[in-house]
Formats: sequence, C-alpha cells, structure tokens
Amino acid sequence: MNYVKRISIALILIHLSNIIYAQKLTQKQQDRLYLKQPGSEAAQKLKKNFSSSWNKTFVNFTDNSTNLLAGMNFSNQGITAAGFNSSFNYNISDNSTVGYKPGYFAGFRVDGLYKDKRNYSFQVSINKIATANNYKDAKSLTPFLGSFSNFKADDQFLNLSMAMHYKKLLAISDTSKYHFYFVLGPSLDTRLSGQSADNLVNNNYARFLLRSDVGFEFENKNFYTLFLHYKQGLTSFTKSPIKTNVNSFELGMMIKASDLF
Amino acid sequence: MKKYLLYSLLAATTFIGSCSKDTTMAETNLAQKMIQDKAWFLDYSQTGTLTKTYVGQATYYINFLKNLTTQDSDGLNGSYSVEKVSGQLQIHVQAKTSNGNPIEYIYDIVSVGSENLILSYTITGKTTQLYYTSKR
Repeated sequence: MNYVKRISIALILIHLSNIIYAQKLTQKQQDRLYLKQPGSEAAQKLKKNFSSSWNKTFVNFTDNSTNLLAGMNFSNQGITAAGFNSSFNYNISDNSTVGYKPGYFAGFRVDGLYKDKRNYSFQVSINKIATANNYKDAKSLTPFLGSFSNFKADDQFLNLSMAMHYKKLLAISDTSKYHFYFVLGPSLDTRLSGQSADNLVNNNYARFLLRSDVGFEFENKNFYTLFLHYKQGLTSFTKSPIKTNVNSFELGMMIKASDLF
Repeated sequence: MKKYLLYSLLAATTFIGSCSKDTTMAETNLAQKMIQDKAWFLDYSQTGTLTKTYVGQATYYINFLKNLTTQDSDGLNGSYSVEKVSGQLQIHVQAKTSNGNPIEYIYDIVSVGSENLILSYTITGKTTQLYYTSKR
C-alpha cells in the first residue's frame, strides 16, 4: 500500500514540475516544440545554406520588383519536313495555314538592376500557343498523290516559358514620367502539353525550344507597363530531320504585384 | 518567398524535361483510326512499270469498319486487323467469299492517310502497289 502511495506522489510531483517548466517557456517556444518535426533542423540548415549561396551568387542583382503579366500571343510555325519519312501521309492543303494564330499567356516577371547599372528582367510565364502551320516544302507522287508530307505539325502547345532580358532605356518623351525600353534576351520554352497521336508515333516534338526575344516596352509612371515582344525560334521544336521554327508576337500588360496585393 | 518560388519553377522545369516521355507504340492505333469507317476506292494499281488506272470507272472498293469487320465490292465479308510485323505495318484480312469459302490475305501498308492509302503485296517476286482514295 505504501509502495502505491509513493508512486502516486512521485507522479504528481513530476506532473507539477512539468506544468511549472511549461509556464516558464514562452508561447512561441511551446509552439516550436509542439511543431518540431523529424529532420526540421536539417531542413532549416539547408534553407539557410541555400539562401546564403543564392545571395552570394546573385549579389549583383538588386532593386528587384515583382510584376504580374498577361497578354496575347500570335504564333506561326515554319515547317521543313521533306527529308522525313514515315508510314503516314498528310495532304498539305488540309494542314497548311498562313499568317499567325492567337493564343494567350500569363505569369510574373522580376525587374531590377544588374550591378546597379543595367536594367534586367527575368520572366516566367505559362504560354498557350496556337500556331499557323506553314509547310515550306512538300512531297508528291504524281499521279497518285498530290502535295503531301509525312509529318503533321501540331498546332496547339502549352509551354512554360522563361526569359531573361537586358533592358535599354530609350530617350523618348519625358523620361521622368514615361519610360520606353528596348529589350533583348534569350527565352527557353518547355513543352508541358503532350503530342498529338500523329507525332507520338515517332516522338517528333522536342521538349525544349530556345528562342530569341526582342521587343519594346512602355512604362507609364510606374502604374503599368505595356509591351510588344517578338520571339524568333533559334532551335527547331522538332527532332531532326524535321525542322520547325516557332515564331511569336507577344502583346501584353504588366503591373507591380505590390500594387495588387 | 520570391526566391523559393523561382527555385521551385526551375526545379519543376528540370523535372519535367528530364523524366517525362510521351507514349510510343501508337502507330497501329493511328493507322487503324485513319482507315476505319471509310470506303476505300482503288484508283491505280502498279506492277513494275505497268500502271492501270481506274479513275472515273466503277472500281473495286473495300470498307474497314470500326468494329474491325470488313466488306468489299467483290462480296467478301470478314474481319481485319492492323499489325506491325518486322517493322512493317500490315493489314491482315480474314474473310469469306459469297460462296462461304474462307480467304486470307495480308497487304503491306506503304503509306496511309485520312484520304490516301497505298498498299502492296508480292507474288512470285513481283510487287504490286495499290493506290486507294477515300474521296469519290
């Protein structure tokens, strides 16, 4: 009986000491203890190291501001595919269109200064592209078959696009109010959408597309920016021997994220 | 926060680019889709340098239906399948004549489209190519 009493008293004392200890800790410390997950220390350390290395690497990129952007694009696809053979034939007249087809895009952009001197921007956007397909060559098998190609170009793509621009301020109008920029840089598109059944057979489309991006931008008193860019394909969007150049005009508007949120 | 968003996007791009691959082996399905539910009319046949034209004439035709059955103008009824054997697309037909006699033949698919179909077969070393169109 005495033995049971002793254990009960010991348990009560332990419980009371826990309460006193808990009261000494702040609420924040208690929350931290409660939320502490296995590996969180390692994660914190990694996060700290990553931030440190990022700041060391991108020390020259300052005065950054984040903008949200959206707009329309107009694209075409120039196709050279006479050297490609497959078991399938497609009438050129049914699959060829002239001009540009409209699509749209949205994303964000970080604008800032490089080495406190040069304006730069880094853009990330999701682009829904529709292309007018222009076949530059054709095969024929007269009198049996007219103009045809063994390749059927896709005309719908969903791409993740990343672009880096150098921005040159142009001395047009009152530069204290309005800013006109000439922008230039590379753009890398990653195809997120799948291929059509026609191209799945030979896996014709590449995953990446490198383009040059050139354009003009108009910034109105820091309220908003209007821009017109032209993207010229530098690499083929399809695998050899098919060559496809995807070119786009992008017309859009951009506003500072801090103005919205 | 901005930094981590950028890191995430870069990581996602690399991930998507490195590990996803589109499905292959879709060739027979595509060929099947192109030929099915159409009447294919024979316009030309070519054996060696000899070409016969049937354009503008009552000519042979064959239907390949979606339910994998076939019927032609000669009265043959049966089933068909699109296969790939030794890298060659083929149409394999198993049918019966109007008298009930079984008949089986295999044609190589030289080229197939939604409007044009070129088949070939070889008998005693002589190859004949058949040019069909789905437009009349």
